[in-house]
Order: sequence, then C-alpha cells, then structure tokens
Amino acid sequence: MKLNKKHIILLFLGTLICTISIAFTTVLKKQDENSAVLLTKERVFEAGNPIVLDFKLNTPVRTQLFIHSSFGSNVIDPDTDDTTRFTIPEFMAKKKGVVSYTLLGETESLYEGEIRIISNTKTKVHLESYIGPPSIIAGGEDYTMQIVIPTDSFDNPLRDSTAVLIGHQFLDIEKESILQSKDMIAWANIFSYDQSGRILMFSKVSETVSKEFSVEVYPSLPENFEIRSNRKHAYADGNQITEFITSIIKDEHGNIVSDGSLVKFVIKDTKGVLLHTQGSTINGQAVGKILHPDHKDTWQIKAYVPGMAESNILTIAYTQVLDDFEVKFDNDNREITIGPLVSFMEQLIPNGTIVKMDVFKDNQKIDTKIKTSSDGLVRFLLQEGFYVSGNYDMQIKALGIQKEFKNIILQ
Amino acid sequence: MMGWNRNIYRSFIIISFVGVIILLLFGIGQTLSYLTTGADRSSMLHLALHKERVYLPKLKWKDTINPGRPIEKQTLQDIEQDYLNAWYIRNAAYQTNTPKGIEDYYTKSARKHIFASLVSNKEKNIAIHGTTTTHNIALDFYSADGQLAVITDTGVKEYQRVYRDHELVLETKLQSDYQVLLMLEDGFWRIRHMVKDKNHTSDPVTQTNRSIKVKENKIFVEDKEYQIKGINYYPQKTPWDMFGDDFDMNVIAADFDIIKNTGLNTIRIFIPYKAFGKAKVKTEKLEKLKQVLDKAETKNLKVIVTLFDFYGDYSVLDWTLTHRHAEQIVSAFTDHNAILAWDIKNEPNLDFDTRGKENVLAWLKEMTHQIKQFDPNHLITIGWSDTISAGLLQNEVDLISFHYYLDIDAFSDAYTIMNTEIKKPIVLQEFGLSSNRGFWSPFGPSEKEQANYYKQFQEIIKQNNIHYLSWTLYDFDEVPSTVVGKLPWRKHKQKHFGFIDRDGNKKPAFEYINK
Repeated sequence: MKLNKKHIILLFLGTLICTISIAFTTVLKKQDENSAVLLTKERVFEAGNPIVLDFKLNTPVRTQLFIHSSFGSNVIDPDTDDTTRFTIPEFMAKKKGVVSYTLLGETESLYEGEIRIISNTKTKVHLESYIGPPSIIAGGEDYTMQIVIPTDSFDNPLRDSTAVLIGHQFLDIEKESILQSKDMIAWANIFSYDQSGRILMFSKVSETVSKEFSVEVYPSLPENFEIRSNRKHAYADGNQITEFITSIIKDEHGNIVSDGSLVKFVIKDTKGVLLHTQGSTINGQAVGKILHPDHKDTWQIKAYVPGMAESNILTIAYTQVLDDFEVKFDNDNREITIGPLVSFMEQLIPNGTIVKMDVFKDNQKIDTKIKTSSDGLVRFLLQEGFYVSGNYDMQIKALGIQKEFKNIILQ
Repeated sequence: MMGWNRNIYRSFIIISFVGVIILLLFGIGQTLSYLTTGADRSSMLHLALHKERVYLPKLKWKDTINPGRPIEKQTLQDIEQDYLNAWYIRNAAYQTNTPKGIEDYYTKSARKHIFASLVSNKEKNIAIHGTTTTHNIALDFYSADGQLAVITDTGVKEYQRVYRDHELVLETKLQSDYQVLLMLEDGFWRIRHMVKDKNHTSDPVTQTNRSIKVKENKIFVEDKEYQIKGINYYPQKTPWDMFGDDFDMNVIAADFDIIKNTGLNTIRIFIPYKAFGKAKVKTEKLEKLKQVLDKAETKNLKVIVTLFDFYGDYSVLDWTLTHRHAEQIVSAFTDHNAILAWDIKNEPNLDFDTRGKENVLAWLKEMTHQIKQFDPNHLITIGWSDTISAGLLQNEVDLISFHYYLDIDAFSDAYTIMNTEIKKPIVLQEFGLSSNRGFWSPFGPSEKEQANYYKQFQEIIKQNNIHYLSWTLYDFDEVPSTVVGKLPWRKHKQKHFGFIDRDGNKKPAFEYINK
C-alpha cells in the first residue's frame, strides 16, 4: 500500500512538472511574437484636444497607425521614427465620433482598439437654425417648424439632451420654452394664432443667442361676403362703367384677407349669357368693373373667391336710353345715315355706340355691317360694285332698338 | 512652266483662303457653343441630372416613423440615392485622393473635413480602396418643410484595403453605426453632419438545415454520400451563349437525357455576367435558368452553376454591383433541389496578373460571404484553373474545385500533394483532351488518342475516388473570340474537346465518359 501511494505521488509530480514545462515553453513561444500594449489610459477625449496614443512594443519594429473615423480613414506615422507614440492629426481629433485604430507592424497588426471623441463643451456654442415653412396661415392649425442644431466650435453636434431655449413673439404674446436636443437637433412646432401677422423667433444655448427669424402668418381662408354696385346712372348707354364692390373680405377669425386675393364677378343677363370681370383685394375689398350694356337688360351678379368663398346675388336693371332713331336714305338709297342718336337727356350719344345693319336680298342675309357712332351719326355706304341694282331689305339695330326697311330699291 | 507655277500659286491661295475661312467659322462656332453651355436652367437646378446607379450596397429601410412628419416615397428614394452616392463619391475620393464630386454630396462645412483627410493621405501617398456592402437605415427625423433629415445607419459593413506607396498595408473589415444629418441643397441631399457611433464585431452567418452537406472530405446529399460524376455542359449550337436568343429547352432536355443515360449525375453550366444584365438581372434570363434547373431536377441531375462568367473588373468600387447580381440570381434559387453548388467564378486565378491577386482574392472572399447570406442551403466553390491555386481561400468554400489540362502522367502526384494539404472534398471540375488533329495542328491528338486519354484518366479517378466533371459533351462549330482569343489554332483546339462530334456521332472517347 505504502509503495503504491509513493508511486502515485511520484507519477502525479511527474505529470505536474511535465505540464508546467509545456506551459512554460508555450508561454515563451508566445513572447516571441510581436505584440503591443496601449499605455494611454484615456478612452474618451473632447474634440479639439490633442490626442496621443502611446504604445509599448515587446520588440521594436517600425509601426504605423491606421485610423478610421466619421469622415474616412487615414494612416499615420509615429511622432518620431524610434517611438510608438502617435498624435492623431488635428483634423481628425476635432471631429466627434468613434475612432477605431489598428497598430500595424511590419507585417501584421499588433493592436486594435477604439477611442471616442465627444463634442467639446468648453468652447463657444454655435447655433444653426432652420425655420420652415416661411409662411403659414392663421387659425392655429398650420404650423412652422423651428429646428436648432447646436454645435461646438469644431462643428460637432452637441450631445443629446442639450438644453436649448427657444422663444417666439407674436403681437403681445411672448413665449419661451426649453427643449432637449435629440438626434443632433432640437425642434419645436410653432402653431399659428388666430390673428395674422408675423412671428419672430430666436433660440439660445448656454451663452450663444441666435439671430432673429421671422415667419409670416397669413390670414386663413376667406369667409362669404357681400357685394354692392356703384354706377353713374341706370341707363343702358354702353358707355359708362358699373363697379361691383365687395364688402371687406375676412377669414373666420376676422383677419382681412391678404392683398391681391382674386375675386371673380360673374354676371348673368336676361338671356342667360354669362359675362365676367374680376378684381383683386386691397385692404380686403375688391372692385370689378364692367361697361354698361347698350340695351335694356337686367343683370344678376355673384362674386367668388374661387374655391373658397362666394357672395350674395345682386340684381340691377338698366333702362333704355332712346325709343327711336332716324334713318335717312340718300344717293339712290345707297347712302344710309342713322341718327342723330340721342341719349336720355336728348344729348348726342357719346362716340362709339355700336350700330349694326343686316342686309337681306330675297330673304337671304347677304351682309352684316357694323359701325360705331361719331357725333351721334353712323353712315353706311352700299357701293355699286358690291350691291347690284335691285330690291333689298335692311334691318338696323342700335341701343336695343331694331328697325326694318323692306324693298329698298338700289339703282 | 510659268503657267504651271501660276496655277499652283493660285490653287494654293484659294485653298488656304478656304482653309482660313473654315477655321474662322469653326472658331466662332466653338466660342458660341461654349458661351451657351451652362446657361441651361434645368442643369442649374440639377433637376434633369442623369443619375445612373453605380453603387448598390444592400440597403434596408428599417423604419421611417419619425416625430417630424411622414415622409413621401419619392423623398425617401432621393435621400437613399444621394446618401449612397455620398458614400460612393467618398470611397472614390479616398482611392485617388482627388475630391471630385465631393461638393455635390457634402455641405460646405462638412466637405472640408474630407478635404483635410485627403490632403493628409496624399502627402503620405496612401490610397484606400474601400466600399460598403450593407446599410440599415432608420429615419430619425424629417422636417416639416422637407429640407432636413436625420438618419441612423446601423451595421454599416465597410471593407477597406489600404495601400502605402502602392504596397498593401492593411485589409480591414469594419462594421459601424453612423448618425447622419442631411440637408436638401440645390436638389441634392447633402451630408451636413456625420458621426460614427459604434463598432460591432461582425455577426455570425445564419445556418439552416441544408439537404446538401459536407463532412470532412465527403459530400452528402440527403444524408447519402454523393460522388460527382459529371460533365461541363453547353448546347452544341450555342456554346458560351446557353441562355441567348437561340435558347431551346427541347435541345437541352434531349442533351440531359444523353448525359443521364451515360450514368453521369452532375452537370456544370455557366452564367455570363454581362448577358444576364449585370447589376440588374434580366427576368427572362432568370426564367430560362429556372427552366434548365427544373428540367435537370426532373432528369435527376445535379447542377453546379458557375457565376460571373466573362466578368473581369474586381475593383472594390465595383463590388456592390456584383453583389446585387449574385443576390438576384442566387436568392431566386435558394430552395432549388437541382443545385449542388454555386461556383463563384471560372478560373479566377488567370486574372491574378492583370487584375492583381489581392483584388481578385478579396472579391472572391467577400462574394463567398455574400452568397452564403443569400443562400445558406447550397455549397460554394471556386473553379481554380490549376492544382497550385486550389488551396487558396479553402476556408471560405465548401468544395475545392480545380481544372487539369496538363500531362496526364503528372496528375497523380499533383493530386496527392493537394489531397494531403486540403481537408475538404476536392472536385476535378474540368479535364479533357481536344482531338484536334488537322490543318491547324498536324501532330495533335486524334480521336483515338482522346479515347485513350479518357480511359487512362478514368482509371486514375477510380483508384483515387475523385469527384470529376469532364470537358465537354460536344464538339463546337464556333468558339467566340472572348473565350480563347482570336488565333485560329486556339479556336480550333477548343472546338474538339467533345465526346460527340459536330454531326452528332459519338466519338470513341464516349465509351469512357463514365468508366
């Protein structure tokens, strides 16, 4: 038994020595390989501060450092040929983000690691603001977005949860609130108020204040409105101008609609023909103008802000200016003089009144002649070359009056 | 004499006058056309910019939900394209250290960081050949006026090869997260801020249950050991253009019958990169490939599909296009039972000299990873042209394939050396002898010698239990110049490797196609 125990112990010791020696040789072998240790303790740096990575090699070899950062990769050499101390170049040391690096020996990579560069909190904060859309409409439904990108002086976005003060002023309202930045930005929606006008905005991070930004608040959609007419007299003289004037057009919150809003006036006469005129608003009122008719008529007028609002229907009547006019045939009936055309006070009608004459032969209309009056008169000449001798019928129309002459003989 | 001289002077004066006038008019024309360029309003706004997609890494939108406002599909596409272009332009800039195009995709304050970096690299003569292969984008923010967006791109796989004084210093694969702020300027979504956030170690490849497995140096199909006895196949009338306009499924089906009846169990076919549509694979080509594979399945033949035939640009910036090519083909047949293996490229080692060995190997290595992602079910191999190259990338592939056209007596030794070094199934993927005795080769092998060659080879194969595919079923009438060049004797040789001659008669070698 005793012998046996001794044997076992010997055997055990033997194996132990063997394993230790094997372990030793492997360890020794491992030390033959090139390896490196990072001496620099920090892993997090503030942007803009010098970053130095110092390595310790077990066997001195020529090294270089591969670095990979936010904007691309570079390879740098040690500060001096005989050291393994690397200064990260300034352009990379001032950019936020993770920098991965690989220490390269002559043939293999010796060490891999990464450091983190964070935005610099000690430098002056820079603000970039983006406001959009630049114009919105009143009423509290539309909004504009105020986006602030706070950066450090090396153009790195500040870390998330940076406090950003934003404020805006509108009429006598002044509001301020504090936002926490997230995903590089701090942002808020600024909703419009009931009134139109201009919202001024600003933002502030620590000591840095932004410049002033403005957003125009335009009135909302117009509400229905009234129209009235304005004319010099009620005669259908085809000469004077009738004006249609809207009431002051406002949105639902009582804001006068923006200048230049287009109002369309649609006029329906007794025959159902549609005429139209338009005007754009100034201070909420639009004026549409149209010539009086040249014959007795009744107009129904309605105005629209197309697609948004409409007015009441206005009815106005025009009265006839004359009951009859004189027609004189001369020169073998080849010269026809119409007039003098007189207006409502027996004054000569202003120049430009349209007189139309239809010429018929054998109940066939062969010509229509149109002329405008001058000094109350219109003269038609039927020349021989065009109108051979024979019987003609004439129909003459002016200012809503029509006269017929049958069997006029042209020599 | 005097008269002649005068005429010569006259014509000289007239010709020079005409010449001067032509030059003058040309000059005025050029000046005018120069003055009118750049005045085009559409070019000013970059609206009608012809943007051909040259960079197609795998990109996935993880989500577009953001607190700002819902994003339109069109804007999403614009951001995606401009963001990828920004990467492409940056990769190209780092390769040549020239900042061409950077100003289109980076804002004024962002681009100066890249410029500084490029200057530093240029001073030290460093060139970085890089690309990204994967992007997973989530939209963090999109502003109300549609002018500003913040995205997070996670798991960006970056491959970079670093050269210093034209010497390769480092090859690295990184996987990082980025947060990027983009702004719409002049019709471009430009990068304003870019912050690298995290490094990952690469994720493991997902394994699925595949019916085809490799255990040590044996291939198993549905748990039965599989011995490849096969042949490289092109239809007789359409060699190197199997899926072209003259594609005829009946001809192929008849050929499959011939192959099956000889007792062979595997064929190898080729997918030409350009003819299949490069990065945008043509559906009609995929349809033809599917017909061939379906037919092979019904005839009980396994298929080794060789991709990227006639592809020659291995440059890093071209990677993503080839990845999309592989993705569209491979993922269409992930579950196809006829496929035994994807052969990534035929004889890529022949491009080592012209394209650079590290270029070719890096491309192949990445491609094996890509294909494993798209199709974990089938095996992967590379068709090396000799026994020496066969050991390359042996950890990346499932089968080791090599071609052998050298002296038959030297084969056994070469094979034994290779077999001791490699612990994976080895496939003799191409071998054969051209019976090209004739005008171009008066002392070339006759059909009888060809038969003898196969007889001998089959004995060696039997002794060593080698997986094999011979070259090829038919003699061909025409061989395209892209295959062996323009020289007639080379073409002539390539025409006579078949077991069956041009008229459809079995050559003496046919007896030894399988034994």
